[in-house]
Amino acid sequence: MAIKVLIVEDNPVARSFLCRVVRESFSDAIIITEAGDLENARRQIGPIDPEHVEPTADTFKLILVDLELPDGNGMELLTELVRYPATKIVTTLYSDDDHLFPALQCGADGYLLKEDRFEVLVEELQKIVRGQPPLSPAIARRLLSHFRQGPGGMGALAGLGEPALATGAGFQSSRPLPLGRGAPLDHERLTPRESEVLTYLSKGFTIKEIANLMGIKWFTVNDHIKSIYKKLNVSSRAEAAVLASKHGLV
Amino acid sequence: MDTSPRPHGASADTSSTRRRRAPSPDSLLDSRLIEQTLGRVEHLARWMGWRLRLLVVAALAGCLAVLLFSRWMASTPELAAEWRSNAVGQLILASTTDPALRPHVGRALVSLGRPGRHPVTVDELAIAPSARWIIDDIDRARQQHQHGQIDTLLNQPSVRLTFANGAVVDAEPHPRGLASLGALYWLLMGLALVVYLVGMVVVLASPSIRTLLYTVMCSAQAGNLVFIAAESTIVLGLPGQLSQFELPMRVVFDLLTCGAIVHAAALHPRKVPGYRVIAACAWVAMAVLGVAALAGHVPEGWWWLQATVALMGIATVALLVWSYRLLRHPFAIVMRRFGLMAVSTWILLTCAVALASADRVPSAQLQVAEIGPVIWYVFLASLLLLMPFLSKSQQVMREFSLLAAISTVATSLDLLFVAVFSFGQFASVTLALFLSLGLYAGTRQWILNRVLSRNMLTTERMFEKLYRIAREVEAHPDRTSTLLVQLLQELFEPLEAVVVEKRSPTVRVVSDGSTLMLPVPALTDKQASAPTSIVLRFANRGQRLFTSDDARLTDRIVEQLCRAVAFDRAVEQGRSEERLRIAQDLHDDIGARLLTLMYKAQSPEMEDYVRHTLQDLKTLTRGLAAPNHPLSHAEGEWKADLTQRLTAAQVQLGWNLTFDRDVSLTVVQWSGLTRVLRELVSNAIAHAGATFVDIEFHLADDRLDLSVTDNGNGSNPRAWAHGLGLGGVRKRVKQLGGEVEWREVTPRGIRCQVVIPRLSERP
Repeated sequence: MAIKVLIVEDNPVARSFLCRVVRESFSDAIIITEAGDLENARRQIGPIDPEHVEPTADTFKLILVDLELPDGNGMELLTELVRYPATKIVTTLYSDDDHLFPALQCGADGYLLKEDRFEVLVEELQKIVRGQPPLSPAIARRLLSHFRQGPGGMGALAGLGEPALATGAGFQSSRPLPLGRGAPLDHERLTPRESEVLTYLSKGFTIKEIANLMGIKWFTVNDHIKSIYKKLNVSSRAEAAVLASKHGLV
Repeated sequence: MDTSPRPHGASADTSSTRRRRAPSPDSLLDSRLIEQTLGRVEHLARWMGWRLRLLVVAALAGCLAVLLFSRWMASTPELAAEWRSNAVGQLILASTTDPALRPHVGRALVSLGRPGRHPVTVDELAIAPSARWIIDDIDRARQQHQHGQIDTLLNQPSVRLTFANGAVVDAEPHPRGLASLGALYWLLMGLALVVYLVGMVVVLASPSIRTLLYTVMCSAQAGNLVFIAAESTIVLGLPGQLSQFELPMRVVFDLLTCGAIVHAAALHPRKVPGYRVIAACAWVAMAVLGVAALAGHVPEGWWWLQATVALMGIATVALLVWSYRLLRHPFAIVMRRFGLMAVSTWILLTCAVALASADRVPSAQLQVAEIGPVIWYVFLASLLLLMPFLSKSQQVMREFSLLAAISTVATSLDLLFVAVFSFGQFASVTLALFLSLGLYAGTRQWILNRVLSRNMLTTERMFEKLYRIAREVEAHPDRTSTLLVQLLQELFEPLEAVVVEKRSPTVRVVSDGSTLMLPVPALTDKQASAPTSIVLRFANRGQRLFTSDDARLTDRIVEQLCRAVAFDRAVEQGRSEERLRIAQDLHDDIGARLLTLMYKAQSPEMEDYVRHTLQDLKTLTRGLAAPNHPLSHAEGEWKADLTQRLTAAQVQLGWNLTFDRDVSLTVVQWSGLTRVLRELVSNAIAHAGATFVDIEFHLADDRLDLSVTDNGNGSNPRAWAHGLGLGGVRKRVKQLGGEVEWREVTPRGIRCQVVIPRLSERP
């Protein structure tokens, strides 16, 4: 059975490049659907039933979304697809945490930097699909402060309703605002090990180095990173749900 | 002699008076100073109570007294004539509206009488206004006698006047009426009323010994002014029994004022050691002299009185000097100056009157004795009036007091000239005018600077400082109060300047002008710390009082500072928005194009080249977007970036970065160092074919040592053609104020050494 992949990217050259990367990364049969903007992407995905999100043969397994699209920000799509059972990857030129962190909060499972070499991209993509998302020092730092202050990073949510502002706001530092809640819930807290891993990551250490420093196996480090991602997603989703119910959206 | 330490205006704080009554050994700031300033509301409530009612009663009583007195004055009978004295002390009829008297204008009057009675001989003493200012004991007694007799005669239906040529005229005295009292009378009465009311307001606003003493002085001077006003209307003899009361009352008023002033100087601004004894001595001396003089036991009583007043004045000045040594309260200085002025004019006046009388020029003596005291007492009254408002005084008030002081000095001097050189009326007036104007013009600025005004920073320097502080505040919001204190210290040169954790709503002058309090403005939104205030005490090293002008100026300065900071912030925000926009455009437009170019590259070299360009562009835009980068953050990114590159090229990285302080790198520093590192590592990978790159990065004492060592096959770095890459490294290091050098290392490889001696020197 062929795997369905959706690539949302407005630059045709970049789109075909990403197609090549995807094809190179997986040995399975692949059906690639291309979309040049958000509208097209939504049409391709079809109506999303929030109650019924069982993966079927018809659903996409992998979605690559560019952040800067002609009719909006890729994060909008990510927010809509929060419960969509696919691996969602942000492809972007922006490598700074101000852009990537909100995307991760919106439920992205990883990110690819478009200017990277073909081989690097293939490798990174495989890692993400296998559950080894990248974590740059800046993002690790953001994660640390996010979990330390309690999830309240409003950067992503602030940009949702206003696509015009979203890219503009991207450059500004959208510091997590403490919402003034009580004790954080479990999914909002990092274990000491996870904090340690994040601290090392924020100092620029590689996973191998961290494994050496902490005296653990490298895949254990990787498990920690995955867990951190999950916590971020879960906490962001919970937060989004809280906000949505507050605004009467659900 | 005048100096009375009574600074409490109507709005002075009760609590401040209470506080200072307890002797405070040091002048250091205590918390009560702040508390007292917060008691204003409570104070107002009390103020509205019985004291306000009492004040209204006192004011009504004062007005009623003035009206009744004036009515009585208007009803006293007087001949419709004007008199003057001639050189030999005779009384000459100057002018008249009485037809019976008109033919005798210019003749000397010998006696007054009525049919069937022994006539009263009259001379110039009949128009001498004040017995207080007649030096000779016998003359004084004669004046009182003549005035009494004349009053009795004028109350008869008809008076017989005998002129020197033997002519005898019968004239009818008529009540003089309110209109004939004259402008000077009303002015003086008005001043007397104001002085009295201010005295009452002060004592009722905060009843205490000090305020009571002030009120005693005010009331005594109001009394003096009432007598002077009555005397200004003199035609022939004082009306009623005034002539009998005038001397004793005015002696009592003068002595009361003296006693009160000495007492007050011993109490305020600071209690001097043994103040009770000093006050008791003063009061006893005044009482003894007063009783003795009134009982007539003191020969040459005028001299005794004048000398006593002068001595008391000098004693007051001495007390204030002493008090200032104990506590450098600027009030003492101002009062000392006022005291000196008053005492010196008093002595001048005494000399002038004495000289005039010694010359035996009766007209000159009369003139001097008539005008001199009036001016002096008015001067004293205005000083008294000024005192409670010293710290609230405005420019007009100050100018007025200066003008009054200087014209008093000038007039005293001038009267002295008249007495010594026997100038005529016109000459003396002209001289007085010129002298006072000249003195005023010449010394105004000097006195303004010395007595009350400030020794200010030039406006230019202040603005410069203001903007510098604004910039510093922008950088270090926590230092706002320190910087503001610095500025205000330069401005006012206070003895003490303290920052206290207390909220104060506005800038204001407290403690009789010795203290200025202002709230520290919250110049940054982040600053959520406790509200603080700055308290300055004793302006100009304790030489000057704070005035409401100072408070206003301070208010303005703070306002300007806030504005400057807001402006700077707005400019900075505008700049960063502009940078952001540029960065955004560069990134979105050029970035996307470079990306397309990279994907379409014909060769891997071309692709790498474009990729590096793209990465440089990203560094550039990130530098533009973020104003500064902590070194610790940069470290992580550098390491991750270089590791990724080197791993891709299968080169090992040795990384050692240390710093003594996590400095915040500016855009230039961050992007410069980022690109230097990237370039050097790219070089090691691409050209040297190294398998190991060692990076040492040390920042200590603002000195940055960076070395990148590889084990590649490069050699003889001097011979290298400086291509785009290495040239870029040189350029950037130079931009940061450093040196770069390449050297061969053993056994193989190249080390690039970058040294930046002062990283923070160039922004």
